Amino acid sequence: MLKSEALTKVFGSKTAVDHVSLNLEAGHICAMLGPNGSGKTTWMKMAAGLCKPTSGQVFFDGEPIGVKSRASVAYMSTEPYFYTWMTIRDVAKYYADFFADFSMERFRDLLRRFELEENLKTKTLSSGMMAKAKIAVTMARDARIWMLDEPFNGIDLVARDQIKSAIIESAAPDKLLLMSSHLVEEMESIADRAVFLRKGQLIKEVDIETERAETGCSIADEYRRIYGAQGGEEA
Amino acid sequence: MINLIKYEFRKTWTTKLILLAITAFAEVVFLASLYLDKRDINALSIVALTILAIGGILFIGIQSILTMHQDMNTKQGYMLYMTPNSCYKILGGKVLENGLSMFVAGAFYFALGALDVTLLLGHYGELDKLMEMVKQFMSSMQMEVSLNGRMFALFALSFLCSWLCTVTTAYLADVVATCLLNGKKHNGWIGLLVFILLQTLFSWVERTAVGGRALDVQLIGSAAIAIVASAAMYAATAFLMDRHLSV
Repeated sequence: MLKSEALTKVFGSKTAVDHVSLNLEAGHICAMLGPNGSGKTTWMKMAAGLCKPTSGQVFFDGEPIGVKSRASVAYMSTEPYFYTWMTIRDVAKYYADFFADFSMERFRDLLRRFELEENLKTKTLSSGMMAKAKIAVTMARDARIWMLDEPFNGIDLVARDQIKSAIIESAAPDKLLLMSSHLVEEMESIADRAVFLRKGQLIKEVDIETERAETGCSIADEYRRIYGAQGGEEA
Repeated sequence: MINLIKYEFRKTWTTKLILLAITAFAEVVFLASLYLDKRDINALSIVALTILAIGGILFIGIQSILTMHQDMNTKQGYMLYMTPNSCYKILGGKVLENGLSMFVAGAFYFALGALDVTLLLGHYGELDKLMEMVKQFMSSMQMEVSLNGRMFALFALSFLCSWLCTVTTAYLADVVATCLLNGKKHNGWIGLLVFILLQTLFSWVERTAVGGRALDVQLIGSAAIAIVASAAMYAATAFLMDRHLSV
């Protein structure tokens, strides 16, 4: 469904993503794991069509990503990106205007569950409220692929549970959910596949259940094993 | 496309509203001073309205360049570039919104100016003298022209088209600096150099094509050249964005 072939992105002298080839199929919730600077965000931005690769390509349903794929891929950046003059309601209207798969009903349901008011100005939102608002507009789309970059950043435990349930509800056999996070244990509870990146390179792609059965280790343990030398505290 | 234009307008409508409010205030001062026969204040309000008309249109263009720059260089750009629209369409929305805003503002100020001149004429009955003074001034500048409404409209049209060309050239220069030279040293200065070179080229083309002709031919010719140049700048900018833009 979403495939990258030798995908590479170089910023000046730094290689952010280094020949990453991945093939992600529908019907999975996939965790993209790795410490800061491992290339998760850059890979996602290239897959979302926001960033041009230096070399390599990304394909969605066999076609290079572009205008058409953006109609089916919902990307949520970890940084706040709403226009500051907008209220949460304006953001929803904006999504409704540009994305045919956006459901205002689903959006309002998510807002209610997240206890957010539609008339709040986006520039006045706390980091937790902003995270919830971003999740609400992104998950209110009936996209084929959701890519969520650090969806649990800056939010408390209760809100994290609300977001997790919203994410799990969206999972379906014809859809792909891809998330990046430092909170490995949190990811392990909802994902069924994991991709490990380090210094821009793909280390391994695993089925979480199979990995547990074969090695007897959790994904968090595997994360510590892979990244321990460069900072196990990331887990 | 309608949605793109709508949201481009939404990004800048607050400042446009402020501009309109200031213009309304200056117009009220003009009308009140005319009614009360306060000639000094009346003259000041005419100067203010003239500055607002020219400055307002220049400001609309500059704000459009700043918005374009912000959309390419801040995270807010995700909102625009993650929508299922090509760079050609996105840039088209920006150029159309900016062009429409400037032409509507130009038409508004032109109509307001025509109304105020008519009121002045009605009140003082000395407009013929004023026009004669302007003609004498232009004559002293070796500009033998017959000043009438058509000529003023051509001046306004030429000014608006030239300004649109300047704005689209600035778009291209910004895209060169942001996309092609991203992270490179002095990319801003190189972008500025691109802008100056292109503007110099357009001036040379204009001088060569219509220089020395009758004033109305010059004005129509420069407007036509500016429109063609704007279209070329749009196509080149969108082409570069489509291939190189990373937000």
